[in-house]
Amino acid sequence: MSDSLVALLTGLADDELVLGHRHSEWTGFAPHLEEDVAFSSIAQDEIGHAAAYYSLLAELTGDDADRLALGRDKNEYRNAILCERPNGEWAYTLVRHWLYDHADALRLEALENSADANLAALATKIRREERYHLIHAESWMKRVSRGPVEGRTRLADAVGRAFPETLGLFEPFELEEDAVKQGWLPVPSDELQARFFSEVRAALDTFGLPTEIHTHAAARAEFVASSSGDLISEGDSATTETAGSEDALGGRKGRHTEDFASLWDAMTTQYRAHPGARW
Amino acid sequence: MVTTKVMDLEAQVWDALATVPDPEIPAVSVVDMGMIREVVITGSQARIVVLPTFTGCPALPIIKSDVAKAVRALDGVDDVKVDVSFTPPWTSDRITADGRKKLEEFGLAPPTGTGPVLVTQIGLPKSAICPFCGSKDTHNENPFGPTPCRALYYCNACRNPFEQFKPV
Repeated sequence: MSDSLVALLTGLADDELVLGHRHSEWTGFAPHLEEDVAFSSIAQDEIGHAAAYYSLLAELTGDDADRLALGRDKNEYRNAILCERPNGEWAYTLVRHWLYDHADALRLEALENSADANLAALATKIRREERYHLIHAESWMKRVSRGPVEGRTRLADAVGRAFPETLGLFEPFELEEDAVKQGWLPVPSDELQARFFSEVRAALDTFGLPTEIHTHAAARAEFVASSSGDLISEGDSATTETAGSEDALGGRKGRHTEDFASLWDAMTTQYRAHPGARW
Repeated sequence: MVTTKVMDLEAQVWDALATVPDPEIPAVSVVDMGMIREVVITGSQARIVVLPTFTGCPALPIIKSDVAKAVRALDGVDDVKVDVSFTPPWTSDRITADGRKKLEEFGLAPPTGTGPVLVTQIGLPKSAICPFCGSKDTHNENPFGPTPCRALYYCNACRNPFEQFKPV
């Protein structure tokens, strides 16, 4: 068993599970029926992907996939903080969905060449399914950004909140250096991040949405700018201005926000109330 | 002849699998759907490799158990092993011609295209062929539907909503 492969899979699984859980919160509440169906289906996909990653983990470690998904303490989860943020309003949900699925597509593309054959096969399959998430997110971004000003303003605000926190998706996980060396993760996180920024910035530009990241929140959390040099640091004055956004980084190290505490509480209630239950 | 026996048993297993329905689309079998990658007979053991249509398909545990049950019922089979694999990834071109016909009769438009689609070209056709009236004058209402594998369309000609099995 390779510890760095376990670390890589844990981050992948936790991202999908936690964001899948957030998406599932739209079931019964989305602004219209078709979107209720869409988000329920996307949630089912993401949680299914998480289940497949947890199964690989279970095989590697001899653990149980359900216990891995629902039986861990909060600080054992390695999802990016972006994934645990509440859905808030519809615009934030869409922007996060769009950003996350772009990042995930790049990650999956890289993982198709993983030295771990099981992970490579799974990534190849999942990437094909995830195309529909991208198509869905893209069509909404187009529609709202070309619509009335109120929608555009809300999208722009949501980009301002969600885009900086995408840094957390590319935060190197524990043992990443070894995972890259072993070929489990063929493209390191900083390289994936550079690809992500160039792709997403070009798209945001065509939508007429902000393309710059203000990293004040991330800067405080020992963030090192990538080689693309695209990040704007707001310097000392900005480090005080972190109210409400906390840190974008830390999730890959098990440091989560209050938002995660309430999500974890809801997500694991059943499992904790009936340990070992089967259905 | 040992070889003939093995071949006979293998053929019997395939026949048995052809009676196992897809739990969410009972009109088609797991063989019609191209979900069976291979059947391996070793003595009286049968190993069946299943390719899931969608990773998160909640019907997978049911499919595994139905497959095992159907094969175990055969004379000459003492032990059944059902494995799930993602190699190769299940793609919608694996659905057989017969399977496509059955999907259509069931009221579900079969996926378009013939060969496996490049990952970057996966997407919904602007219009799907209406399984009720055969019109191409249809439009997509939602890339998602009641199960991970279906999208929602509307037929402008006969004014029926219908579902299409997503090309993947």
